[in-house]
Amino acid sequence: MGRLRQKGKAGAAKAYVTRSAAIKKLQCSLADFRRLCILKGIFPREPHSRKKANKGNSAPTSFYYAKDIAFLAHEPILKKLREHKAFAKKLSKALGRGEWSDAKNLEENKPVYTLDHLVKERYPSFIDAVRDIDDALCMIFLFSTLPSNDRIPPTLIENCARLAAEWQLYIMRTKALRKCFLSIKGVYYQAEVCDQTVTWLIPYQFTQSIPADVDVRVMLTFLELYQTLLGFVNFKLYTDAGLVYPPPLDMKKLEGGAGVGAFSIQEVAKPGNGVQKVKAVEIDGRKVSTKDVRQTIQDISANPTEPTDVDMVTSEAVVEADDDEFVPIASKTSDAQPTDLPTLKSIQALPASLSTTLFASCVFFLSRETSRPVFEFLVRSFGGRIGWEATVGEGSPLTVDDPSITHVIIDRPVLEHTSETAEERERRLSRKYVQPQWVVDSINAGKILLEDTYGPGKTLPPHLSPFGEAYEGAYDPLATDEAMAAESDVDEEADEEMGDAVKDDAELRAAELAAEVAGVDPAAFEKKVKKASKQKSTAPAPADEEDDMNKMMMSRRQKKLYDKVKHSQGKRSDERAKLEEKKREITKKKRKDTKA
Amino acid sequence: MHSDEEGDDEAESDGDVEEFPEIDVGSDSDGDSEFNSDNVEGDLDEEEVDEEEESDSDAESLHVFPRAKTVTSDITGQPKRVYPEIEPDYDSDSSTEEAPNRVGNVPMHWYDDLPHIGYDMDGKRVLRPARGDELDKFLATVEDPSAWTSAFDKNAQTDKPLSAEELDIIKRLYDHENPDGNYDPYEPTVEWFTSQVEVMPLSAAPEPKRRWIPSKWEKKKVMKILRAIRAGRIVPNKPKTSSKRTQLYDIWKSDASTTLAPALPAPKPKLPTNAESYNPPEEYLPTDQERKEWEDKDAEDRERDYLPQKYSSLRLVPGYDRFIKERFSRQLDLYLAPRIQRAKLNIDPKSLIPKLPSPNSLRPFPTYKSLTFSHPSSYARCLSVHPSGTWVVSGDDNGIVSLWEINVGREVKRWKFSGKIGAVEWCPRTDVCYFVVGIEETLHFVIPPNLPAAVYELTYKLLAPATLPPAPETPSPIKWTTASSSKWTIDTPLLSIQLSSGSGLPRQIAWHRKGDYLSTVSSGAQGGVWIHQITRRHSQAPFKKIRGDIQLVRFHPTKPHFFVATQQYVRIYNLAEQTLLKTLMPGIKWISSMDIHASGDHVIVGGYDRKLCWFDLDLSSKPYKVLRYHSRAIRSLQFHPTYPLFASSSDDGTIQIFHSRVFSDLMTDPLIVPLKILRGHENKEGLGVLQVKWCPNQPWLVSGGADGAVNVWCS
Repeated sequence: MGRLRQKGKAGAAKAYVTRSAAIKKLQCSLADFRRLCILKGIFPREPHSRKKANKGNSAPTSFYYAKDIAFLAHEPILKKLREHKAFAKKLSKALGRGEWSDAKNLEENKPVYTLDHLVKERYPSFIDAVRDIDDALCMIFLFSTLPSNDRIPPTLIENCARLAAEWQLYIMRTKALRKCFLSIKGVYYQAEVCDQTVTWLIPYQFTQSIPADVDVRVMLTFLELYQTLLGFVNFKLYTDAGLVYPPPLDMKKLEGGAGVGAFSIQEVAKPGNGVQKVKAVEIDGRKVSTKDVRQTIQDISANPTEPTDVDMVTSEAVVEADDDEFVPIASKTSDAQPTDLPTLKSIQALPASLSTTLFASCVFFLSRETSRPVFEFLVRSFGGRIGWEATVGEGSPLTVDDPSITHVIIDRPVLEHTSETAEERERRLSRKYVQPQWVVDSINAGKILLEDTYGPGKTLPPHLSPFGEAYEGAYDPLATDEAMAAESDVDEEADEEMGDAVKDDAELRAAELAAEVAGVDPAAFEKKVKKASKQKSTAPAPADEEDDMNKMMMSRRQKKLYDKVKHSQGKRSDERAKLEEKKREITKKKRKDTKA
Repeated sequence: MHSDEEGDDEAESDGDVEEFPEIDVGSDSDGDSEFNSDNVEGDLDEEEVDEEEESDSDAESLHVFPRAKTVTSDITGQPKRVYPEIEPDYDSDSSTEEAPNRVGNVPMHWYDDLPHIGYDMDGKRVLRPARGDELDKFLATVEDPSAWTSAFDKNAQTDKPLSAEELDIIKRLYDHENPDGNYDPYEPTVEWFTSQVEVMPLSAAPEPKRRWIPSKWEKKKVMKILRAIRAGRIVPNKPKTSSKRTQLYDIWKSDASTTLAPALPAPKPKLPTNAESYNPPEEYLPTDQERKEWEDKDAEDRERDYLPQKYSSLRLVPGYDRFIKERFSRQLDLYLAPRIQRAKLNIDPKSLIPKLPSPNSLRPFPTYKSLTFSHPSSYARCLSVHPSGTWVVSGDDNGIVSLWEINVGREVKRWKFSGKIGAVEWCPRTDVCYFVVGIEETLHFVIPPNLPAAVYELTYKLLAPATLPPAPETPSPIKWTTASSSKWTIDTPLLSIQLSSGSGLPRQIAWHRKGDYLSTVSSGAQGGVWIHQITRRHSQAPFKKIRGDIQLVRFHPTKPHFFVATQQYVRIYNLAEQTLLKTLMPGIKWISSMDIHASGDHVIVGGYDRKLCWFDLDLSSKPYKVLRYHSRAIRSLQFHPTYPLFASSSDDGTIQIFHSRVFSDLMTDPLIVPLKILRGHENKEGLGVLQVKWCPNQPWLVSGGADGAVNVWCS
């Protein structure tokens, strides 16, 4: 006979620990436990049987792995938290007694913890860290714009702003931005960093207030970790790209509200090629290479101010840029391995959104009602130059009357050109005025779109998500647009050729010939065809009926699963049908309006 | 006054004593002696003059300790106590007191049995004092007032009264006081070391060197710290709290060496869709109704956490007020939600449907309604198809039984009975031709018209034999009556069986395959199962008592087995051995129908709870397959006698045809394929198709419904 098995000594009862038991074991407060869990990334687990895990008790609790808790118990931060508790007691005692010097001394020797080891532990490789950086970016961008109060010190906000600016600077420098989306919540950006897709959301520039039902302690604990994480990630990104970290900051510009422009990127001076580094011309923090200069010359010579066909010009520009980048390399190494090299064809086969130098030929000027940080970031990420009015912030590389400006991003109703000088008129005519959505739509389309539809005061085309829908087969507004158009055509041309659309063309033609040979009246033949097609459409497919009957041979479990899948599919198709129905109504209404 | 004066004198001398106790010894002794001599007198004076209180005077007179005197010191001006000098004469010693017994401190029990108790100073025996008996002792305590203050003296072996001093000590001890009456716990303190700085030092020792030479060791320690500060090892006033910004370095330079399993990465939030755009296509905008629905729902129940909105330009887009809240809820998800890795269900639902052979490959089976025979304004409750497959009899609730032809539906003959027709069944024999009609408490045997002469002869002989078989020994409640040959016409039944009264309507008539026995199940309270034998004109009840309400019975097609279905179970009996073979448990709440496959190894059972169970009798008493496909109760089931088909009919008005192939080898499971749903009967008062019967040699089906129609379904 084996040993007697005692209850609660093995299995789920041992593997899981309730939260209160965990707190008791760690001998810390609930707040400290939460802090530890956040920092260490430990989350509750769902046991297969809650009753077994809780030793027969079915009260609602959350469970943790016992090993996770043992892991927490060895955490140096836990010790620091205990020290901090003792410190807080000592400090309050000293303050209560009025021993100010003691209190000061204590405050100076306050125990502090660092999170370096946690970053390494939670993200063993750099790729892991980049993969999980989405939430960190969202939080840091959010806090970089919050107003400070007694819970949120200004130093914290300053640090967040610095980290956010460093990240943006890196994205701009490496041209890693891929997609952008203006939503009602804020602006979504998607970039590709180290082959990982990173998406983050920045709220629009309005003062956010923290609601009362939000626990700031939790948010600040997360922020603590995220700051450390983003700091290390930025460091790694900068050093890997051969840049100086931290990027030098121009305090004067920062105070003038230059934002990202206050930082300047500096390459690490290599000891070997100190002599060669001569002509790094910097214009307001942006390095201008010879390539850029050549490109601007090309742009000027191509005279982009009077484009007859916009799409042509832009595609040319893109191709030329590609030539610049790839052809010399190919010629240099053509003797070695020409097969590996990217050819023009392969480049063109790549998805359209990969054209990172989309705005290389454009020079933008921001009207003062547009959001500078958003469009500065977007335009510079895609190789464009941008200027803004001095009232918006310092550090604009261009002024309003700069002749090189090709586009003006404007977001106000149509301007009245009543009293303008000839020079102003000339300037106005030589530039294109577009609404902000044009920039984002161009980025998402991967090409420079026609500016006319986005002109000031015009009704904008709908702004669609570049991320697509959540599932396959969802409603696609663009596809339905075409379908609607086709449908309306069919409607207008009446029911004449209903049969044609449905039946196979070749078959029909053969039948027609046969009918002609037999001497059947063509009108009668057409009627017959229509009837046949209608019958075809009304008769249910026999295979479906068979399936319906075979369903009764399914086991109960299979039937449940089948119903579940069918339910979700039905829900989706309902949603889709609803949207299509709405669309149909809208187009009908529009058509009626235009006719009237 | 006198005492005061004296006190003053003494005080002067005493003052010296206080000042220099060590030095002036001589003067001190003088003063003391002087004082002592006076003391006694003063004492007496005080007693006489001042003190009137008895207790005080008693205390003073009874004093064992030398009495102290309080005098005011001349020098300090403080009252002080002075004790009298002890005079070293004989009186001062207690040992000089007269005590006759001089044995010393020896245990007195040595003298217990001797007449004396010791010896006096002269060596003479001290005789034991006379001690009275207990009565005397008692009397002594009563009479002698000082008895309670006397104690036994061990040395004298007698009671001795305690002196006043001794009593005083006892009293003080009782009161937890100091036994010394003169002890003053609140004596004024004497300041030996005062705040007054004296001119002369108390000690003449020279001051040590360490008081005025700097310490070498201290200097060494200070120098050590100083050097450390200079070298920068110690930074003075450096706060231990490190600077706010953590030192950044390449943390991922060294390889990941953690042995920890990689944690589940947090799921990424969903990417925004078109509906979240600031300028979505118009069809995404919610209607007023959708908006209201969204607002009425709780925040957790909403599918989207926002309402799509459209702004004509970017500058009009307001700040999103739930931004921080959403961030916070995301964080709550990250650290409070249990993370489970779920396999995403990405199955094509069609793959779940079992692959079965196509019905087209399993033809023939009935597919369409070829004709309808109607029983107007009644339920076509029962029907039966002739073994040859050409004739059908159907009975309705009005008591009409119709005989008609299956191919064209022409009615050949109609009989009218009183009351409902419960069951109709053709005799399975082919050499004779008649059918049995069950009405209230009666079975009628009817011969159809237009029979060939030979068949008619045989049938007539069978039902109305010239010589009746001998009556059974035990009288039976069942009566067999044959219509007399003169009265009998083709319109009336030739033979009738009167079932026991109160047995109600026969629910079912089941023939044995040979056509000699038939069994009836009656629905009434006095009913039950009866087996009737035609040739012997004899009826018997196979069960004396049976548990449960019997619904149906069947004969096994080949063996002498008898299937009895009660409400929930099917029991199989061996009629030859009269034993229970098996009980099938279909798990149906109320069995409505049952049929046995021609091979005899498979049984299907249908119930009012819509279930159909297929039993393989070789396998188990639990169903091999349970199907639930009808939306209402199953009413009737039948296997086709020759084709691999079975049909079920239900109150939902449909008939379901199945292909059911049974394999002779034990390894292969029976194949059940649904073939066709036949619709054509109307529902009436919640009843649908009441009975289905197969045409024996064709894949045709005849069905009778609550709408009064009897349909023939052909392939």
